[in-house]
Amino acid sequence: MFPWNYGFHWTAATVIFLGAFYAVLAAVAATLLAAALRSRRDVRAHAVEEIRWQSDFDSLPARDRLCRHAITGELAGRECPNGFDCRTCETHTRLATAAVLAATRSIPAMREKPEVEIYGMNYPVDRLYHRGHTWVHPASDGTLTVGIDDLGRRLLGGADAIDFPQRGARLRANGPVFTLRRGSVRVRVLSPVDGEVVGAHFSGPAWFLKVKPLNGGFDLRHLLSGPEIKPWVAHEIERLQLALAGDAALPTLADGGIPVDDIAAACPGADWDAVCGVMFLDG
Amino acid sequence: MDKDLIARGVKRCSPRQFGMWLAPWVALFVFGLYSAGLCLAKGLNQTNMDNRFVFGLWIFLDLAIIALGAGAFFTAFLLYVLKVEELRAVINSAVVIGFVCYSGAVAVLLVDVGQPLRSWFTFWYPNVHSMLTEVTFCISCYLLVLAIEYLPIVLRNRRLRDVPGFLVFEHELHKLVYVLAGVGTFLSFFHQGSLGGLYGVLRGRPFAFREGLALWPSTFFLFILSAAAVGPSFILLTTWLAEKISGKRLVRRRVFDVLARISGLLLAVYVAAKALDTLVWINRTSPEAGFPAAQYYSWRPFGTWILFAEIVLFGLVPAVMLLVPRVRARTGWLVAAAAMACFGVVLNRFVMTIQTLAVPTLSFDPFLSYYPSWQEVGTFLAVIAFGVLVYSISFRYLRLFPEEREVRQISFFTTETRRHGENPKNFSVSPCLRGE
Repeated sequence: MFPWNYGFHWTAATVIFLGAFYAVLAAVAATLLAAALRSRRDVRAHAVEEIRWQSDFDSLPARDRLCRHAITGELAGRECPNGFDCRTCETHTRLATAAVLAATRSIPAMREKPEVEIYGMNYPVDRLYHRGHTWVHPASDGTLTVGIDDLGRRLLGGADAIDFPQRGARLRANGPVFTLRRGSVRVRVLSPVDGEVVGAHFSGPAWFLKVKPLNGGFDLRHLLSGPEIKPWVAHEIERLQLALAGDAALPTLADGGIPVDDIAAACPGADWDAVCGVMFLDG
Repeated sequence: MDKDLIARGVKRCSPRQFGMWLAPWVALFVFGLYSAGLCLAKGLNQTNMDNRFVFGLWIFLDLAIIALGAGAFFTAFLLYVLKVEELRAVINSAVVIGFVCYSGAVAVLLVDVGQPLRSWFTFWYPNVHSMLTEVTFCISCYLLVLAIEYLPIVLRNRRLRDVPGFLVFEHELHKLVYVLAGVGTFLSFFHQGSLGGLYGVLRGRPFAFREGLALWPSTFFLFILSAAAVGPSFILLTTWLAEKISGKRLVRRRVFDVLARISGLLLAVYVAAKALDTLVWINRTSPEAGFPAAQYYSWRPFGTWILFAEIVLFGLVPAVMLLVPRVRARTGWLVAAAAMACFGVVLNRFVMTIQTLAVPTLSFDPFLSYYPSWQEVGTFLAVIAFGVLVYSISFRYLRLFPEEREVRQISFFTTETRRHGENPKNFSVSPCLRGE
């Protein structure tokens, strides 16, 4: 094995054979070491939640990774390559600019007037919406109000417990913002924005967070707004129908009515852990 | 507790049912451990091998499962190096199968060597001119690679992902997996080949001896080719079995088709090469060594039927079946073809191991027969049970088939829509909706 071992000879066969063996071991050890060092760097850079989201996003079925512009009908079947973060997406920038220039007038979904009530649910147009069922409302003091949207609220009905982030906690878009619990179901709700939590507010059964920007201002280009909301909600109801379709259930019509107030209570046989995971994009 | 460990959105049987499924395999595994323990404690006199019949059931098992386990390296090579993206749906399962096969093979080798405490001797005092040394090095290194490839799959478990260190390590290791795929391909190429070469260089056994290129006898290349050919078939077969046993669709139909096409193509090349090699051996290699090839097949039960079965029945026939789209389109035929392909290569390993040693070489040699002892069979069964246990537990708690959630819904809607004749009146309104 080594020059000091009994029977070792400096021959071509020995050098080639042992050289290949040590090269393999070195490659495997280097791979492990590189992964360990990169992991340490990620943990120190507080990139854990970003990595969790990347991992969760990559494991989503193709139809759940649909681009916002595919949902509105602008692009056919395009999958989002950016983890729903349109801030770095050239296609979105191009299409958003085109929309501003009124080129989107020819797209039926974009022609419709933004509605407050969509399929019986409340989606105010002065808010921006995240794909994980949270909304954002810019306040006059430069902060944002962050809450859970109407479909998200109906999915869990009355949650048994809500874990809010601490005041001063830093949020990352697509990182966790709330953790909701109902029965044995525990679901992480994704933050729609980057920011720092300045307070939590309760108004009857409703609750929301106040968030201030980290670096001067918010970049909200990745959030859905105006005429995008209705096709997205329709898409979400379709996803909900699919998620609810357990092995023994019958197919259901996507447009047979409007969502009930407490969907979980109306469908006690459904696998709510799975349904909430799908709808809130939580792993 | 158990439910928390199962991936979101996939259905698994109850813990009780799962326990009942595992129980017989655990019993078999314990029996096998006892058998192996006897061999280790009392020596190889517990087996029916002797100084003449030195390779028995265990080496046959090793060769067979290493060939079938080639699906791991070959699938990883196709996915990460050649970018055949459809195979992402089965890569995790392929890695687990590879890990099971190679760890089982190494465990059996440790029992077979009989002195496991001295197993490190082969690394410290290697005979660099021996094909077996290359096999030992490559198999142990590849098992290490497979264990590292298995690690991210384990760390993706739902609960383990909650640990930040595990989550980022899994993520970073997965990003480097193409390095491991490349190393695994290099190692597999050589150990599959060396296992074949091991027989091909046996000048004293003209039944196995073959000519070849430079250092390598033709069996070196035939073993590589046959392992690469049946690897995808074995992945197809195990995926289908997992679907049948669990009662769930796990992958899209297209994945089976891709696996079958790759397997069929390589199997056709292998059958052609094997046929050519056999013709050269019958007409030149063996007669030059003083043995007409027909002589090997005069010893019952090893008649010419075994050659026909190996090359035609379980070689050419499944290759054609896997290559014909109309046959591939029917799951029954597809699975039968994959099973036949796997059986063909297992038969080849049996022939190379058992028939090689059984047929007489010297004029005073008798035809040797060998039946494994119950301790050998027990150890063999332990490896099978170990494989089933590891795969079952992995299937339950790890995401072996990433498309499972998606495929379940697709298959559900396809089936139900067909059943209801696509008439909207036959559909119910979801209980999550109320009338407007």
